[in-house]
Amino acid sequence: MLLPGLAPYDAVSNDTLSMTAALRAFGHDVTLFALHTKDIDEPVQPPETIEHWIESPDDVVIYHYCTGWEFPLQLFRRMKARRVLRYHNITPPEFFEGWSAGYVAACADGRAQLDAYAAMQCELYLGDSPFNNRDFIERGADPARCAVLPPFHHVEQLLAADPDARRLPDADGVPMLLMVGRIAPSKNDFALIDALAACRETLDPRARLLRVGKLDPNLATYGIAMREHMRVRGVEQHVIALEDASGAELRAAYAAADALVMLSAHEGFCVPLIEAMALGTPIIALGSSAIPWTLQGAGLVWDEADPYIVASSIARLRGDPDLRALLSDLGMARYRSAFAPPVLIDGLREAMARLDTVPA
Amino acid sequence: MSSDPTDEYLERVKSEIRAEADAARLRAPLPRKALPESSTAEAARSDGIDRGRLDYAIGELTGLQYVAFVDNAFRALLKRPADEPGKDRQLRLLAVGAGKAEVLGNLRFSSEGRRVGVRVRGLLPRYALAKMVRIPVIGYVLEWLLALAAVPLLLRHQRGADTQNAARFHDVDAHLARRAEELQALAARFDEMKRELDETRAHFAVRAESLEQRATTLELRAQALSDSISDVPDLRHHILAVNHWSVSLQRSFTEIDEAAKADAERVQSLIAAMYGAPDAIADREARGARWLAALQARANAPARVLDLGSGDGDWIARLGTHGYDAAGVEPNPFLVARARERGLTVVIDEPFAWLARCADEDLDVITCSGGLPGNDDALADAFAQLRRALKPGGWVLIDCTRSQATGVLSASRGDVARTSRAVAASGFSLDASASLTDAVLAQRR
Repeated sequence: MLLPGLAPYDAVSNDTLSMTAALRAFGHDVTLFALHTKDIDEPVQPPETIEHWIESPDDVVIYHYCTGWEFPLQLFRRMKARRVLRYHNITPPEFFEGWSAGYVAACADGRAQLDAYAAMQCELYLGDSPFNNRDFIERGADPARCAVLPPFHHVEQLLAADPDARRLPDADGVPMLLMVGRIAPSKNDFALIDALAACRETLDPRARLLRVGKLDPNLATYGIAMREHMRVRGVEQHVIALEDASGAELRAAYAAADALVMLSAHEGFCVPLIEAMALGTPIIALGSSAIPWTLQGAGLVWDEADPYIVASSIARLRGDPDLRALLSDLGMARYRSAFAPPVLIDGLREAMARLDTVPA
Repeated sequence: MSSDPTDEYLERVKSEIRAEADAARLRAPLPRKALPESSTAEAARSDGIDRGRLDYAIGELTGLQYVAFVDNAFRALLKRPADEPGKDRQLRLLAVGAGKAEVLGNLRFSSEGRRVGVRVRGLLPRYALAKMVRIPVIGYVLEWLLALAAVPLLLRHQRGADTQNAARFHDVDAHLARRAEELQALAARFDEMKRELDETRAHFAVRAESLEQRATTLELRAQALSDSISDVPDLRHHILAVNHWSVSLQRSFTEIDEAAKADAERVQSLIAAMYGAPDAIADREARGARWLAALQARANAPARVLDLGSGDGDWIARLGTHGYDAAGVEPNPFLVARARERGLTVVIDEPFAWLARCADEDLDVITCSGGLPGNDDALADAFAQLRRALKPGGWVLIDCTRSQATGVLSASRGDVARTSRAVAASGFSLDASASLTDAVLAQRR
C-alpha cells in the first residue's frame, strides 16, 4: 500500500488504514510505504524500498493517487507486480487560479499524470466513485479494469460519539446551515455566504452558518476574500467557524443543523455527505461532480448554487416535518446500503477477486 | 434507491421550493452592506482601498490615465490591489484601442467583481456597446453608425482638445524654459566637477610617483634578499656535512662500545682464569677455613648467608657443606657459570644493586667476598643497605685481602683500618676477637 503520507484525521489515511486492516483480515500480507508519517501506530517503510519487498508477479501494489508524485508513476512503469490505482481525485487547477500559484501547480502536476496512468492499463482502477473513474475511461483506460469502491471512513466512530455542543451556539429555534470540509475555492464558500444572506433576508435575520473546516495558510488570500464577502453581505457576525472539531463536536453540529448545505463545485466522493446521511441530517446540495452519485436522491440536489433556492429549501425543511423525516430516512438507508463498513469490506473483497480475473 | 412515488414527491417539492425562491428573490434582494465609518476609514488607511464604498458614477473612475486608471479600477471594483497578470491584460486592451468602459466592465462583471458587487452608474450601457462593436460585421456597422451619430460631439471634443493642447503647449514651453535654466546650472556644476577631477588627477599623479619610488626601493631590497638566499646552498652543504659527521661519530661510538664490551669480556675471562690458579685456590681455602671458624662461633647453622661477589662459589660451597643456607651474587658470568655447574645458588648481578632489592631484616649473615664500593657516598650507601638487610644482631664479614682476584677490583680492598672505621660508623659493632687480619667482622647493633 503506497501513499504520500499517513496522518490521523486524514481521509486518504483513513481509507488506507481501513483497507489495510480489511486485506489482512482476508489473509493478505500488507506492508505500508509512505514518504512521511505522523502519529500512526503502524510500521511504515520508505517508498524507495518497495521493489525489494516484491517477491512475485502476483504481488499487488495499491497506490493511493491523490496528488502529483513522480515516483509511483515510474514504479508502475517498471515493476513486476500487479498495479491497483486507488483514485481519490485531484481538484482541477482552475479552481485555485488567482488564489494560490502553489495549488495551481500542484493540482496541474497531479492531473497531468492521469494520461500516463490511463495509458499504462493498470490491472485495476479503483475509484471512490464513477465520477472518479471517468477521468481514466475518458483517457482510454479499459472500463473492464475500472471498479468503484467508496472510501473507508470513520463514520461509525462518529455515530458512537456522545454529542458535545459546548462550542456550538445555542439552537433556540434559529435556522442553522452546516458546511463541513476544508475552506477552499472549489467548495464554493461565496455561494454559501450568499445563501446565508438570503436566509437572513427571507427567512430569519438570526440565521447562522456553522462552517467546520480548516483554511490552509497557502490560501490566505481566499480566506481574506471570504471575510470581505461576509462583510459585504453583512453576515460576518452570523458565521461560526470551527476549525478543529472533534468527533463529538461534529456529531453535535450535525444534530443542531437544519441541513448540511454542500454547494461544493468539485468532489471526488464527499465524505461529509455520508456523515450527514448516517446521522439523519437532511442535505441540500449542488449536483456537481460525484455528489449526485453519492446521494442517489437522498437529499435536495440542485443544478445551481442559487442562494434563494438554498434559503427556500431551508424554509421548507423547517416547515415540513414530513419532508425532513423522508430525507433523513432516505439518507440513513443510503448509508446502510452503500457505505456502511460491512458493505465496503464486501466491495473490497469483490475488487480483489476481480483483480484475479484481469489478464496481465 | 428511492422509489418512483418518492422521486415524484421530491420533484414536486423542489418545484415548489423553486417557485418560493423566485418570489423571495423579487421580495428581498441580497444585501450589500457598507462597513461602519470607523472600520472603513481604518481599512482605507491600511492599504488605501475604500472597502465601504460600493457605489460610483462612471466619471469618477475614468478621469485617470493608463496605469493609474487600471490600478484605481481594481481598487474600486474588486477592493484589492491589482495583480500583475490582470493589470497587464487590461493595459494591453487599452494599448490596442479599447475604451475605459470596456476595462471597467471587464472587472466589474468578472466573477470576482460580481461577488464584490460594486455599483457603477452608467457603466452597463457603455460596456454593452463596447462588447457589441466586437461582433463581426454587425459590430463594424454599429461602430460606424455610432461614430456618425457622435460626429457633432466629436467636433466639440476636437475643439476642446485643440484648446487644451494649446494650453498644454504653453505649459510645455514654460516647462522647457525651466528645464533649460536647470541645464545651464547643471553645466556649471559639471565644469566645477571637471576642475575637481583634474585636481584629483594631479594629486594621484604625485602619489603614483611616490609609489613608484617605493616600488624601486622594494625592488632593490628584494634583490639583496635574493642575493642572501643564494648563500643558502652553501649552508645546506654545511648542514649535510655536519649530519654526515654526526652519523660517522655515532658509528665510531658504537664501535668503541663494542670494543669495550669485548675487552670487558676478555677481562672477566682473564679474571676467571686467574681465579682458577692453584695459588689463588689454596689461598681461598686457607682463608675460608679461618672465616668459617669465626662464623661458626657467632652464627649457628642453618643461618641464612648471602655472599656479595661470590666468585666461582667456593666460599658458599663451604658454608653449604657446614649446614648454612648460603647464596651468592656475582657479576662475572664466567665465574657464575662455574658456580652453577657445582649446583650452587648464584645470581648474575652487581652485588650491592642486588642487595638493594633484598627484604628488610631478612639475612643472618652477609659476607662481602668482592669487597666494597670505592667512593665514600657509595660506601655509606652500601653500609646502610647491609644494615637494613641484616636481622638485628646479624653479622657482616668484609674481605680485605689485597691479592684476591674477583670481578670487582675495589680501591678499599686491603684497607682493614679504613673499612673498620666505616663499619663502626655505620651502626655495627666491630668484633676483633676472631683475630682476622684479612677481613673485618662486625655485628649489627
